[in-house]
Amino acid sequence: MDALLAARLAAGDDHALAEVFDRFGAAVYGAAVSVVGDGSSAQDVVQDVFVELWSHPDRYDSAAGSMRTYLVALARNRAVDTLRSELRRIARQERHYRLTPAEPPRSPGEEVLTADVASTVRAAIERLPDAQRRVIQLAYFEGMTCREVALAAGIPEGTAKSRLRLALAKLEAVLDRQLLESS
Amino acid sequence: MTAEPALPASLRARVLDASHQARPAGRSFPAVQEISPVEAFRRTADALYLTLRALPEGGWSRPAVRDLDVQGLVGHLIGVERDLQRALSGAPPAGAAGHVQSTQGTAVRQAGRRADQTLGEWRRAVARTLIRLAGAGDLSAVVAMPGVRMPLRALLVARAFELWAHDSDVRVTSGLPAVVPDAPTLTLMTRLAASLLPRAGGRDRPGPPALLHLVLTGPGGGTWDIETGKAGVRSRVSIVADAAAFCRLVANRISPASLGAHITGDHAAAAGILAAAATLALD
Repeated sequence: MDALLAARLAAGDDHALAEVFDRFGAAVYGAAVSVVGDGSSAQDVVQDVFVELWSHPDRYDSAAGSMRTYLVALARNRAVDTLRSELRRIARQERHYRLTPAEPPRSPGEEVLTADVASTVRAAIERLPDAQRRVIQLAYFEGMTCREVALAAGIPEGTAKSRLRLALAKLEAVLDRQLLESS
Repeated sequence: MTAEPALPASLRARVLDASHQARPAGRSFPAVQEISPVEAFRRTADALYLTLRALPEGGWSRPAVRDLDVQGLVGHLIGVERDLQRALSGAPPAGAAGHVQSTQGTAVRQAGRRADQTLGEWRRAVARTLIRLAGAGDLSAVVAMPGVRMPLRALLVARAFELWAHDSDVRVTSGLPAVVPDAPTLTLMTRLAASLLPRAGGRDRPGPPALLHLVLTGPGGGTWDIETGKAGVRSRVSIVADAAAFCRLVANRISPASLGAHITGDHAAAAGILAAAATLALD
């Protein structure tokens, strides 16, 4: 059944694409939601997964497993990529704070993305040591610059920067492990 | 097992739209190199030549198609090349004979000749056709051969169809494995077959009125939405079949039952469409 669906997709059968979405769309969406939450990021992941299947149907091998398994795994991988991308964005922001004291304005798209992944990121932050969690909360959730973080936490600015770098490194490792376990 | 979350209402349309933006529906994957109908004709003629050249002397007297042995079949093809060259010169077909009848004399005259003489004559006839085609220019011009009248572009693909079908005839009678044209050639053949389906069956046995969703899988495949039969209430039918097998059906080399098609919708209409498709063959 899946082999025939794959052959139809390769033949450019748009009915087959709709059929695949109707059969597996909810499972793909569920896999995305489990990683990035139920905001627009999960919908972006679903779109990426089906565009990938339609654009490169040869990457699915029916001999290797079911189409459902393939699509769900693809969704998880894409969702993890989305989270990693968000972590890199936070890290870039932190480096930017170190160079310029003023907080850069966020675009509407960044705001939406942040909202989507916030719950997952927040859970990982809760696992950090108190001192590191405090600086991350101030910088990430309250949007403070390093200087403002230092003032709010009552620590030297250099200490705030080093705690931020250390916290971000741990955060990425914790999230990697968590996401690996969930997949 | 946890319940799957409900899909957002607009997500399906958004996903399908984005997918079609990335790759239009109907086009097979991977994309196939486009070749000219002249090249398709040349490739299938070369393939048949290689099959014939490898036959042992006794292989030429094996029954091939209709009442012809392999040598008679090649004689038929010599006659077809002459008919095509005449058409390319602008002359009308001589008489009202059809595709088979007009070449019957050439076919039966091969009896008693050496096989290499027949093979050489056919090979030279193909070469002359290719020389004439090099100067043919406009492939959209309508050309009339005995029993066939269509644009030269389509006629050459029909000739590729014919040469491949006869290559298969020779291979079957010789106990050789079947061959399938390369993807670029097969692509031209499936496109031609799909374009002729609305008129398949002719006036005598037209296909049923239907909205056909035709999906041909594998190399040379694609997807088409076709209105078949005469005007009227059209039922919906979807036929999914292997591209090479569908071409064998159109060449009248296999029956609809042997096609192994996956059919949804109006099964009776599908049966009528497949029966009509098999009548597209020249012989």
